[in-house]
Amino acid sequence: MAEQFRPRWVGAMTRRDFLTTTGSAALGSYLLLQRQAWAAAPDIPPAGRFGELDATAAGGIDLYLDRRDLLIGGKPGRAIAINGSIPGPVIRMTEGKEALIRVHNRLDEATSVHWHGILLPFTMDGVPGISFPGIAAGDIFTYRFPVEQNGTYWYHSHSGLQEQLGHYGQLILEPAELDPVEYDVEYTVVLSDWTFEDPHRVLWKLKTFEGYYNFQRPTLANLDDQMQATGMTLREVIAMRLQWARMRMDPTDIADITGATYTFLMNGQTAHENPTFIARPGQRVRLRIVNASTMTYYDIRIPGLPMTVVQADGQNIQPVETDELRIAVAETYDVVVTLPDEQAYTLFAETMDRSGYARGTLAPRAGMSAAIPAQRRRPMLTMADMGMMMKGGMGGMGGMGGNGHDGHEQMDQPMPQHAGTALPTENLVERISHGPDKHGPASITMAESAHRRLDNSGVGLGEDGWRVLTYGQLRALKRPHSRRAPTREFDLHLTGNMHKFIWGFDGKTWSESDMIRFEYGERLRINMINDTMMNHPIHLHGMWMDLYAGGNLDTNPRKHTVNVQPAELLTVDITADAPGQWAFHCHLLYHMEAGMFRTVAVVRTLDGGPIHADA
Amino acid sequence: MLTLERCVTGMIVATLVLSGPASGQEQPDMPTTADRPSHQESAQQHEEGTAHPERVRPRLPEGATLDEVLDRAASPPPAHFPAPVPDDQLYVFTLFEQLEYRIAEDQAPDHLGWEAQGWVGGDFNRFWWKSEGEAIFDGPNDGETENDLLYSRLITPFWNVQTGVQYANEWTADEYDERWSWVLALQGLVPYEFELDNSLYVSEDADITFEIEAEYELWITQRLVLQPRVELGFAAQDISDRELQSGMTDADLDLRLRYGIKREFAPYVGIRYSMLAGDTRDAARAGGEDVEHLFFLAGVRFGF
Repeated sequence: MAEQFRPRWVGAMTRRDFLTTTGSAALGSYLLLQRQAWAAAPDIPPAGRFGELDATAAGGIDLYLDRRDLLIGGKPGRAIAINGSIPGPVIRMTEGKEALIRVHNRLDEATSVHWHGILLPFTMDGVPGISFPGIAAGDIFTYRFPVEQNGTYWYHSHSGLQEQLGHYGQLILEPAELDPVEYDVEYTVVLSDWTFEDPHRVLWKLKTFEGYYNFQRPTLANLDDQMQATGMTLREVIAMRLQWARMRMDPTDIADITGATYTFLMNGQTAHENPTFIARPGQRVRLRIVNASTMTYYDIRIPGLPMTVVQADGQNIQPVETDELRIAVAETYDVVVTLPDEQAYTLFAETMDRSGYARGTLAPRAGMSAAIPAQRRRPMLTMADMGMMMKGGMGGMGGMGGNGHDGHEQMDQPMPQHAGTALPTENLVERISHGPDKHGPASITMAESAHRRLDNSGVGLGEDGWRVLTYGQLRALKRPHSRRAPTREFDLHLTGNMHKFIWGFDGKTWSESDMIRFEYGERLRINMINDTMMNHPIHLHGMWMDLYAGGNLDTNPRKHTVNVQPAELLTVDITADAPGQWAFHCHLLYHMEAGMFRTVAVVRTLDGGPIHADA
Repeated sequence: MLTLERCVTGMIVATLVLSGPASGQEQPDMPTTADRPSHQESAQQHEEGTAHPERVRPRLPEGATLDEVLDRAASPPPAHFPAPVPDDQLYVFTLFEQLEYRIAEDQAPDHLGWEAQGWVGGDFNRFWWKSEGEAIFDGPNDGETENDLLYSRLITPFWNVQTGVQYANEWTADEYDERWSWVLALQGLVPYEFELDNSLYVSEDADITFEIEAEYELWITQRLVLQPRVELGFAAQDISDRELQSGMTDADLDLRLRYGIKREFAPYVGIRYSMLAGDTRDAARAGGEDVEHLFFLAGVRFGF
């Protein structure tokens, strides 16, 4: 690792170069591709023209929130813009300094800004109803907090469904010391999803018409397609479909909201607009990738170029070279790539359900582009996603992926560990069988068991013949402070009723539940058990979650958002070092809005009764 | 002979058999979720003194002490704070599954028919209404409707239990009959994804009838759906003024092919075979009435 510690900006790019190239690249693609749109709507600026601000510079910064028209892929959309653009400006901060941000709410509704992944006093966390009452229409709220960390993060609204309309942007926290990541140029890559519909209407559709946006369901017409994809006979395909129908489940329920309404964006631009990232051959390009989507998981690759993943959720990790990575909603990954020649390369971000993609180009000059890869067949859930230990029989099903852990289950692990004693931190139990479901009508639990899926890259990935990043590959670059064995643990079931679009934890929505209490200073463990058939990105505010990724106290990565796959058992350890109340939720915006949310209270003692979350 | 007891027993058995979440089989040699603590249980087992705060300087709001923040953390949010997520909001939904013109294949008059339902409520508790009926479109003023006003509760992931009242009426040019009944219904999805709606009616004259509706959606393409549907009527006793004999009384067998221009707007065509059954059929035939009809259907399914 030693040679990695070199000063930043050693390459040919200065900060000014970076800004100029970003600007001209944006302008270039803007002029090339917006001509038509300009003709149609001459006064409406396109999305994607965002600037950069330094929140730890003297005097701080101002953010202005406006409801305004922006061209999204050339079509006018009514967005919530931050300083006139979506995404909002890139906000830089420097570790060790104090950030000062004045948020001017020029909307006709209350709003908020949450600094995603940032450790700060709970009153600065920006969650209406937990940190503060929100920022009323017309008001100005001043955020002020010391910056104690570095890395790539993001910010977004925590009010209603505003995030869907563009209320997000990237945060770059500069390290106080030398950055272990060496690179010559850096670019912001903000992935998001956009709909021209009213997001409240979208939620209503999800609540009332099951599978409203799924146009990839099993039909008579695609029987043949499924046979070809899986190599199964007609009989087997029908038998498989009947098996799902018997369970009253849809194996194509990969994404609640799809390309049927979404326009997929990279830095506010569509694949057609082709945001371009300029670098000369040999330069090391750091892509700071944020998934600011409300509901869309992206699979990112650059055909022909390996990516070296150097950071996950703002935390430096031991570099891993890979060809593709899945970024869950609200995660960030920093990757470094080097252009080997004067060619253009496509930065391809395909949605998990294959209903669309965002795309950009990495090239030595503006105006270049490379081939857009063919979209892959939409995946289908498998019995492994139902936690069923099926061997053979269903193996031909598409997207079966690696059940890497099936071979070595630890059936004899004593359970549960008693509080007060240190819990093991390595070689945790691999599989837990489902007891009788106690979560009521809000939960459809199909899984027979929950199992570790650290070596599984997820549904639809891992069978293309190239490398795909898994959580099992993430290893912290340095052991973070305050790591020790936890002394308390509990299970948290991720539950849902897909038919009714009810989402929660342990079968309860936020308003039906009490706060989850952490004792200030304690080290505790949460075993998340996904009882649903969907992926859920679970985000804890204010504190790190140390992800059990198969490593140990020195090497397990820490994250602000962890993706929990269907039927997965995923363990995180937390040091409860942040007094106050915090949000803890699924970061799929519409799942959160439906109640997959808890208030976490970091309190003096766990004595005393539960605290009602709803005032 | 169908009795109230048998109807109710049937419905209860149906619920037990069909509605339970298909949770997995326990494997005896593996730890199970049932033995593991939830966060409340875990907090109760927690021993004091296990916490050892390491931070010299916790992140505190400006001007606040650690004690103040910990006190605040142990309290519900201030009253003027909004809910962080509006997860208990009410939704309103209306679905006209059928709004159609029914063209009789024989000399019988054509009808305008509908079947609609809707609800207002949250995830579990809803006010639910259902309405169906038909009227002669071009001919004598002749028609009937059945309107159920129900309280509905989601009792298992796939099943609602519903209770309330039904107002039914029937009219001709010179006669108007109406009837109130108490309703107990079970509405939900059985394995293999058949939608069922079973309703038990006890009229103000203490006549008991029972209705089963079952439908299935066969997806041909992402927008083209073939929907077979069966509606069966039963009576627990002879009801002379409604010309019903005990046992199965009537059946409608429908097949509709719809094209979803949008999920909430789908024109369709279809056929309905409508028949009287059992003793009711025999009695009607003896009285010289038609006992079966074939209709061609054209209509639109829409929701809002």
